[in-house]
Amino acid sequence: MISLEEAKKAVIDDFSMYDEWLDKYEYLIDLGKNLEPYPEEEKTEDRLIKGCQSRVWLNSRIEGGRLFFRADSDAIITKGIISLLIGVYSGRTPEEIAGDDFSFINEIGLKENLSPTRANGLVSMIETIKAIAKENSTILTAEDAAELAPLYDNVIMAIKQVYDPEIPVNVYDLGLIYELVINKKHEAFIKMTFTAPTCPMADEVLAEVQKSVADVPGITACNVELTFEPPWDQSMLSEEAKIELGMEDFDSSDQAS
Amino acid sequence: MLPALSQSVHGKPLVYFDNAATSQRPESVVEKWLSLVRGSNANIHRAVHKLAVDATEEYESTRDAVKEYINAASREEIIFTSGTTASINLVAFSYGESFVSEGDEIIVTEAEHHSNIVPWQMLCQRKGAVLKVLGVDDEGHLKIEDLPTLLTDRTKLVAVSQISNVLGIKNPVKEIVKTCHSIGCPVLVDGAQGIVHGGVDVQDLDCDFYAFSGHKLYAATGTGVLYGKKEWLDKMVPYQGGGEMIATVRFSGTTYAPLPEKFEAGTQNINSVPTFKPAIEFAELLQDKDIQEYSKQVSDYLYTALTSNPRVRLFGVPRGTEDKIALFSFCVDGAHHEDLALILDKLGVAVRSGQMCAEPLMDRFGVTGMLRASLAPYNTIEEAEYFIKSLERAVGMLI
Repeated sequence: MISLEEAKKAVIDDFSMYDEWLDKYEYLIDLGKNLEPYPEEEKTEDRLIKGCQSRVWLNSRIEGGRLFFRADSDAIITKGIISLLIGVYSGRTPEEIAGDDFSFINEIGLKENLSPTRANGLVSMIETIKAIAKENSTILTAEDAAELAPLYDNVIMAIKQVYDPEIPVNVYDLGLIYELVINKKHEAFIKMTFTAPTCPMADEVLAEVQKSVADVPGITACNVELTFEPPWDQSMLSEEAKIELGMEDFDSSDQAS
Repeated sequence: MLPALSQSVHGKPLVYFDNAATSQRPESVVEKWLSLVRGSNANIHRAVHKLAVDATEEYESTRDAVKEYINAASREEIIFTSGTTASINLVAFSYGESFVSEGDEIIVTEAEHHSNIVPWQMLCQRKGAVLKVLGVDDEGHLKIEDLPTLLTDRTKLVAVSQISNVLGIKNPVKEIVKTCHSIGCPVLVDGAQGIVHGGVDVQDLDCDFYAFSGHKLYAATGTGVLYGKKEWLDKMVPYQGGGEMIATVRFSGTTYAPLPEKFEAGTQNINSVPTFKPAIEFAELLQDKDIQEYSKQVSDYLYTALTSNPRVRLFGVPRGTEDKIALFSFCVDGAHHEDLALILDKLGVAVRSGQMCAEPLMDRFGVTGMLRASLAPYNTIEEAEYFIKSLERAVGMLI
């Protein structure tokens, strides 16, 4: 795949071949006509881009860490414009798209040569693509971090409400939580383990963690995954847990559940 | 005579076919405005100095000119506003406050501009009144036969356009007024398009309110008129409070100025309102029989050219030779209205695309928008021919 800069340069070169705006429109119409068909059932209200006079639908999916866009419009020149955007940005990482300034649009003079309503539509298309990229990007801005920090606190509090059925210490302090990620959509992803692979209450504990976290205000979804890699050992206990258990008496082989 | 028309856009001579949105201003209007700004710029009605006296004279003599032009019974019945929208909002508020209560009904038609729908919706919301809608048929004519059944003793007002800005069909407003008056219900006529195409004699029409804008009638923007029968205007509460609209102001209570000042609070559009005078003169000039005949030829040519194209679906189909103005809203099968307008623009042709501030009507015909060519008497047959050729070229590019 060619780089983002190369893709932009290719569009600028294509556009500079035409002197007349009518010819540039012909080129956009051609792009629009050749855009990959968009499924009718995905022409839904939530995929409609606001601010366009013609209707524009945009759908995205993330695959292998890259964003892929599909789109359609009932107006062919608009469809050409969105095809051009997709051609440049589809298949790139969210970070790459979110970090781009989209200024090549100004370089080809597209915005100035559209009617104000359509120029607004173009701005809305770009804003939507940027928003999708930002949402899927793992890079956090200072605002993102500030927004997520209290959520992390509250989620940890929620996890601490769940106890191992056989040990009087919560699963967090036991060191059973290997990973906790809250993304910008406020979905929580948890990777956890048990003290031994044979825990008979495993399903119940997993469900309890899931529910406890999902119930935290602001959390939109919670996904809990079980792993035994690496296997748990008592060095993973928190200081509080060690005190609670009186570590000198603690023997992991006895307590394995 | 019309400076804006002699320019080129995108290297092509301008063909301006968006007159229903706003017309171009003749030199006489531009000059009147400039002379007021440069020479007689002073606030009206107050000071005794020369400039103020001149400005007041310009403003008030315009009221007489408008009164003559629409044949109102008295000058007190002419209220200056910022446009049709402001005129309708004034009635929706002041008439509504005075005469509409919970459970009352207001009737509008399906073919109205948003300006003649939303103020009434707002009134109904405020008062708990009901908004009822008179439909249009497939050809874009009002279903006038439904009106008597829609009208009840709770109907407090019927608001209808003289000519729809989308369909260009002359509505039977006189008949509507007669039907409504037979049960004592007043009628507001939105004359935004009608004042330009044929004008109005408000006494003959006998409507209770008539609203129109200056800028579609070749006058400066930000000007408009509300005509209201004195008997109604006298009984209505003021719309806005402020300077000019008062008789005496005390903290114990304020009394209002008599008509028309009662409805003209604050400093009016003193530099622009007087442009109505040269604008009316220009409009009267265009009433010339030869000009009218020529305009009809241009209009007939466009009608024939558009309707003979099997891809074109015209909205607002005339039934006689006199009931449609030179305004054509249409869709082209397989080509989006916005694409067409964009390409036409690059060919120098200014037309309108989209919903044209009439979303309910777009829904009625099941379309997301239309393309509209609206002409003024200064448009020529050559321009019409060039438009048709350009349209064909645009369609060819898109299909």
